[in-house]
Amino acid sequence: MRIVADQDRCEGHGLCADTAPEVYDLDDDAIVVLRHEVVPPELERKAEAGARVCPVAALRVEQIGAEP
Amino acid sequence: MSVRDVVVVGGSIAALTAVEMLRMEDFDGRITVLSDEDVPPYTRVPLSKGVLTGTESIDDVVLAPLADDVDLRLQTSATALDIDTRTVHTPSGPVRYDGLVIATGGRARRLGRPDQVERVLRSHGDCARLRDDLAAASSVLVVGGGFLGMEIASTARTLGREVTVVDLAPPLDRLLGAAVGGHVRSVATQAGVRIVVTDGGVRLLGAPVPTGVELVDGTRLEADLVVSAVGDVPNVEWLAGSGVQLHGGIVVDSHCRVAPDVVAAGDVTVISEGDGQLTRSPHWTNAVDQARAAVRALLHGDSAAPYRPSQYCWTEQFGLDVKMVGDLDPQGEPTVLDGSLDEGSALLAWPDATAPRTVIAVNHRTPPAKLKRLLKPAAAAAPA
Repeated sequence: MRIVADQDRCEGHGLCADTAPEVYDLDDDAIVVLRHEVVPPELERKAEAGARVCPVAALRVEQIGAEP
Repeated sequence: MSVRDVVVVGGSIAALTAVEMLRMEDFDGRITVLSDEDVPPYTRVPLSKGVLTGTESIDDVVLAPLADDVDLRLQTSATALDIDTRTVHTPSGPVRYDGLVIATGGRARRLGRPDQVERVLRSHGDCARLRDDLAAASSVLVVGGGFLGMEIASTARTLGREVTVVDLAPPLDRLLGAAVGGHVRSVATQAGVRIVVTDGGVRLLGAPVPTGVELVDGTRLEADLVVSAVGDVPNVEWLAGSGVQLHGGIVVDSHCRVAPDVVAAGDVTVISEGDGQLTRSPHWTNAVDQARAAVRALLHGDSAAPYRPSQYCWTEQFGLDVKMVGDLDPQGEPTVLDGSLDEGSALLAWPDATAPRTVIAVNHRTPPAKLKRLLKPAAAAAPA
């Protein structure tokens, strides 16, 4: 699984990082930064939860290739 | 009895968060979501901004889709609840539950008569209609100067429309307090918005499509497009006679519980404070916080952590990015923690810097988590 962050849409509300700090961080301007190129399997659920809570829909969840 | 079948009634962020929380809590039973919307859950936040200008479409604001194993039934409204038999009734038949999450949200409040086709902004359908109307209008009258009304005013001004906002009180003061409210209004006024504060209710003129309002002193304000942004009404009619306590919304306890195995979250709720006071917080983060607390209570009962509001809300308008934590409508002059309003970027605290109850960032890129940490540091440090 991969998260695609649209940094132009990001308004820095930080709900993703509140929900899944293992996956999302905010830079000095409060813009989202992803901690992983590919989300480790054990963090996938949290990553999804963090993406869904974004009030400006700046985060997309993508499945990569042939995952189980 | 353990909960195996959870039904979530609603189709917006509270419902979506409830589903998410069920999965995070390793709930492996069945999840059914009954939504009266015709599209999957989306965020309403951009509806007063990018979607209204037309730079974004509904596809841009749909939230990440639910997991495949969740049974999402669109265009399915709940029509009645029977708590004794644990059944939600819908036009397509009854749906049984072991655990129920009510997140039916609200709808736009209207001012006019039934024969007036009032323009409001709540759903994506409202937004599409308003966008089309806006394209054809040269003047816009926004009735109501809360976050939504002022955001619509800002968008309309960006599109070059002549914009008037009318309200009973100076717009935004009730939310942001007079200091920041006044600042935003001065920026709005400089941007060309006319603000009218009236000392009494307004009467919507024109039918079927409203063409203006009449103030108590007889003054008439008219525009090509009249938009009502006067708050929302919780969707509770389907619960009439169910035994669910209704008082301007569903009354929930400290754990967002309503009845045995029934919880509620989001704009549909009113929270009963210890002193019997009922408060309503129809904001995004509250819907998220409540949905999480509600699901924990549904699965774990009294041992679940109670609802703790993060008290975060925000608005974007007239080039101002305003983020706020803590109590609404802070009184008096703020303590300036950084920058200054006159220079365009400021971090402000009320009533003082040592134990703030409200912190507001205006065009100040402080992450909200940091704003929350500034709030009542003594209370935050105390054990939960």
